[in-house]
Amino acid sequence: MKVDEKDKILDIKNLDITFHTSAGDIHAIRGVNIDLYRGETVAIVGESGSGKSVSMKAAMGLLDSNAIINSGEILFSYIDEKGETQTVDILKKDTKWIRKNINGNHMAMVFQDPMTSLDPTMTIGKQITEGMISHLGISKKEAYSRAVELLNEVGIVDAEKRMKNYPHQLSGGMRQRVVIAIALSCNPDLLICDEPTTALDVTIQAMILELILKVQKERGISVIYITHDLGVVAKVADYVNVMYAGRLIEIGNVDEIFYEPAHPYTWGLLSAMPDLETEDSRLYTIPGSPPNLIHEPAGDAFAARNEYALVIDEKEQPPMFRISETHVAATWLLDPRAPKIEMPETLKARIERMRKEAL
Amino acid sequence: MAANYNAEPILKVENLKQHFKVNRNFTVKAVDGVSFEIYPGEIYGLVGESGSGKSTIGRSIIRLYEPTDGKITFKGMDITGKMSRETKETLRTKMMMIFQDPMASLNPRKTIGDIIGEGLDIHHMYPNKIEKQVMINRILQKVGLSADHCNRYPHQFSGGQRQRVGIARALIMNPDLVIADECISALDVSIQAQVVNLLKDIQEETGSSYLFIAHDLSMVKYISDRIGVLHLGHMLETGTTEEIFARPVHPYTKSLISAIPLPNPELERKRVAVSYDYAKSGLDYNVGSNHLVEGTHYVFGTDEQVAEWLK
Repeated sequence: MKVDEKDKILDIKNLDITFHTSAGDIHAIRGVNIDLYRGETVAIVGESGSGKSVSMKAAMGLLDSNAIINSGEILFSYIDEKGETQTVDILKKDTKWIRKNINGNHMAMVFQDPMTSLDPTMTIGKQITEGMISHLGISKKEAYSRAVELLNEVGIVDAEKRMKNYPHQLSGGMRQRVVIAIALSCNPDLLICDEPTTALDVTIQAMILELILKVQKERGISVIYITHDLGVVAKVADYVNVMYAGRLIEIGNVDEIFYEPAHPYTWGLLSAMPDLETEDSRLYTIPGSPPNLIHEPAGDAFAARNEYALVIDEKEQPPMFRISETHVAATWLLDPRAPKIEMPETLKARIERMRKEAL
Repeated sequence: MAANYNAEPILKVENLKQHFKVNRNFTVKAVDGVSFEIYPGEIYGLVGESGSGKSTIGRSIIRLYEPTDGKITFKGMDITGKMSRETKETLRTKMMMIFQDPMASLNPRKTIGDIIGEGLDIHHMYPNKIEKQVMINRILQKVGLSADHCNRYPHQFSGGQRQRVGIARALIMNPDLVIADECISALDVSIQAQVVNLLKDIQEETGSSYLFIAHDLSMVKYISDRIGVLHLGHMLETGTTEEIFARPVHPYTKSLISAIPLPNPELERKRVAVSYDYAKSGLDYNVGSNHLVEGTHYVFGTDEQVAEWLK
C-alpha cells in the first residue's frame, strides 16, 4: 500500500553513539541518517559490528546502559488511539514511557533467534495475548480470539491447538511465525526485523519472507530489515542502506544498489555473494576485516581494505555524493577530480547477466 | 588435487541407520538407511534442511554416536562396532571434524596454541617441544592467523578467526578425511567466502577428502564435487554438482534449489519458492529404490514416481 502523499514514519537524523567499555570508548555509530515512509521497506545491510543492530535498537529505545548518545534525533510518527498523527523524539523520552507507548503497539521487533525471544515457560497463546491485553486494554476472551486469528494469518494450522503449546514443541519456522504473530498483535506502524531468517533453513527462510511481505501488503505497515544477506534484500526491500563501521556508505533503491552500485564496499559485498551461475572456482573476498572502532580511522574507514583507495581516503572522510534522486554514496571515487575507476569486470559481467535474466 | 574416482573410496557408508530411542513407544529415526562413498581428494556436499539427519551422519561416521545399523568403511577398515586398537588410532588421527559453532567448540580456558596442539600431544606426534611449536606456527600461518596468536584465548578472536582456529585444529593432524559440519553457517557472508576459499585452497594443497555438511546450497555448489540431498534421514538424490543443479529430479531437491535467494531484485520480487511438504506430497521414503538418471546421478523413488518426475 502506497499513500499518495508520502508520510514519513521514521526519521533518524545524524545519530551518533559511543559505547563505554573497559577496553575504551567505542564510537559505534558515527552520524547515521535514515528516512522511512509509510508502507515502504528499507534494508540495512552490513557486516557484524557495522552498527546496523545498534541503530535500530536506539530507535526502539533498547540501548544498553553503557551507550552514550552524543548527538542526533530519532523522530517517530504514529497514529494514536484518537486517529491523530503524533511525532516524538525517541531519544528524549525515558524508557518507561517508550515501553508503555511505543514498544509493541506502534513499533514491534522480530529478533534473529526465535528460541531466545520466546519465553520457554509460557504457552504460545499467553505470549501472544500478553501484549494485546496490556497495550490495547481488551479482555482476555477477545485477546484469545484475536490471537487465534493472528496464528491463522501467519500460516499456522490448527491454531486453536497450538495456543496451548510451549515454544519447544514447535519447529524453528513455526516459532518464527509465532514471533511475527506477536509482533503484529497490536497493529504496529513499524516492524523492525533483525536478521529474521538467519537462524532458519533456506526453504523456511523463503516462506517467512513471503509471509512478512504478504502481511505488509495487507496492513500497509513499514518494515526495516537488518541483514547481511543480499539475497534477502533483493527479495523484500524497496530501499537499501549499506552500512560500514558505523556510517552509511551507500543509499539507494534496490535496483540502483544491485545494478549500479557505486561504492567499492558494495562492489565487494555483491561479488562475495555466491551465485548459481558463476563458474569461477574461487569466491571473491573483501580482504582484511572491519576496523576496530576503539581507534577511529582518520579518513575513510574502508580505505585499508579498499583496492581502489585514493590518497585522500587515508586523510579525509568522503562526503555523500549524489548520483541520482534516490542514490547517494560516500566514496571519493565519485568526486569530479578523482580518476575514473569502474567496478571490477567480473561484477560488471555478472550484473549484465542478471539484467538479461530479469527481462 | 582433483578427485580420483578410480581409486578405492576413502570412506564407504552402507545402509547407515542411526536411531535414537526417546521412550518405550517412540524412536527417532534420524538416519534411516543412507549409503554413499567419498573418493580420495573429493569434496562431498551433504545438504538438507534442519532435522534431515545430515549432522547426525557426520557424527556417526566419526563415531561420536554408536551407529544402530549399517557399515562404515574408512580406508578399508570397518569402523562400526568394536574397533581394534589400530583401527581406533587411524580413525582418531586421520579423520577430523570442524564444528558449526566455533565459540562452543573451543575450550574458553585454553590458549589457541594448546587447543591446536592437543591432538599432537595425545598421539605423541612430535619429537620435542620446539618441533611442536613449529608445527603449530606453520598451521596458523596456513589458515591466515599469525604465530603470536598462540598465547591468546578464544574470546579474543572474531567469529571468522575462531573458525580458522577450528580448521587449524583439524588440519594439524594431516587428516585424510575432514568432516565440516555447517562450518560456515554462523559467519557473515563476506567471512563465509574467506573460509570457503581457505578450505578449498588447503584441500587442493593437501589432497585430503572433505565431507561438507551445509544447508546453504549456493555455498555447497561452490565447494563440492558431488552432492547428496537428504531429507528426513533418507538420501533422495545424489550426483555431481553439475548434474544436481542442471537437472534436479526429486521435488524436494527442486524446492531446495528454488528457495536459494538470488541477488537479483527484478527476478527475486516475482519469484515464489516452490514449497514441498512431505506429508502432503504422497511420497513414502520407505518404499522405492535408487534410479539412475544420467552418469552418476541417482534419484530415490518408486518406478512410477521417477518416471513421472523425469517426464
